[in-house]
Amino acid sequence: MSLDMAKYRSIFLEEATDHLGEISRALFELEKEMANAEAIDTLFRMAHSIKSMAASLGYDAVADLSHRMEDRMEGIRAGGRVRSQDELALLFRALEALEAMVEAVSNEEDPTPADEALLALLGKETAEAAPSETLSDGSVPDAESQPGPSVPIQPDRVGGEPKKVRR
Amino acid sequence: MARVLIADDASFMRQMIREIIEPEGHEVVGEATNGIEAVDLFNELSPDLVTMDIVMPKRSGIDAVKTILAEHPTACVVMCSALGQETLVMEALQAGARDFIVKPFKPDSVIATIAKVLEKGE
Repeated sequence: MSLDMAKYRSIFLEEATDHLGEISRALFELEKEMANAEAIDTLFRMAHSIKSMAASLGYDAVADLSHRMEDRMEGIRAGGRVRSQDELALLFRALEALEAMVEAVSNEEDPTPADEALLALLGKETAEAAPSETLSDGSVPDAESQPGPSVPIQPDRVGGEPKKVRR
Repeated sequence: MARVLIADDASFMRQMIREIIEPEGHEVVGEATNGIEAVDLFNELSPDLVTMDIVMPKRSGIDAVKTILAEHPTACVVMCSALGQETLVMEALQAGARDFIVKPFKPDSVIATIAKVLEKGE
């Protein structure tokens, strides 16, 4: 069977725009209090939701960036706080990039993939080495040194067979 | 055919699951937007099957499935996961969830997984 993807594109635009607003508000809360657990959780969930929707529609650039953002937020959530102003600035940059991508989708354009340096910085364990000049001069941290997402589950992998736990 | 409860905070995903399973004859009896609603609606509606997202506000899908299965050990719950959530999927399966489907959803795979779970649950 096939789905009416035009309908889902419209839903994506509506929900993603709402989610980006939530992310923006959460970041401003984190500016005031870097250990704001509710804001951290909201950021994580919004990035996760955008990733899932984008992947469903084949918006790979959006999915890649939101996936990196989600991974970064997972680490922040585990640590209980945003670790530095640089890390907060990095998250604001990711938000701006996502906003531009969603804007491109609304203009029926293909979203431009995120700056490799931004993706690499989001993948770093901490943002302490994330000064703005790292992005502006185009230097890219060694991608192989980045932890990146661990994804042994495949997108079309359905129906797990965890024999040890299945009832 | 089954009475299904869909639990997902994203309207996008709820509509997609609905559109995939309704042509197969399944009836969507309720939609929950967070883990608390999922538990409440399960108790209220007694669905044959629940599709449960993992990442939801207020109460996660993992917590919700544990609560549902503690009170209803034979409940059929299928987890909806995303890339990189294998640890959480395993936790849900160990808690008694029957199976899982991975986003982005492949309609034929979703249908097959639900059919398999319902068949085993009979």
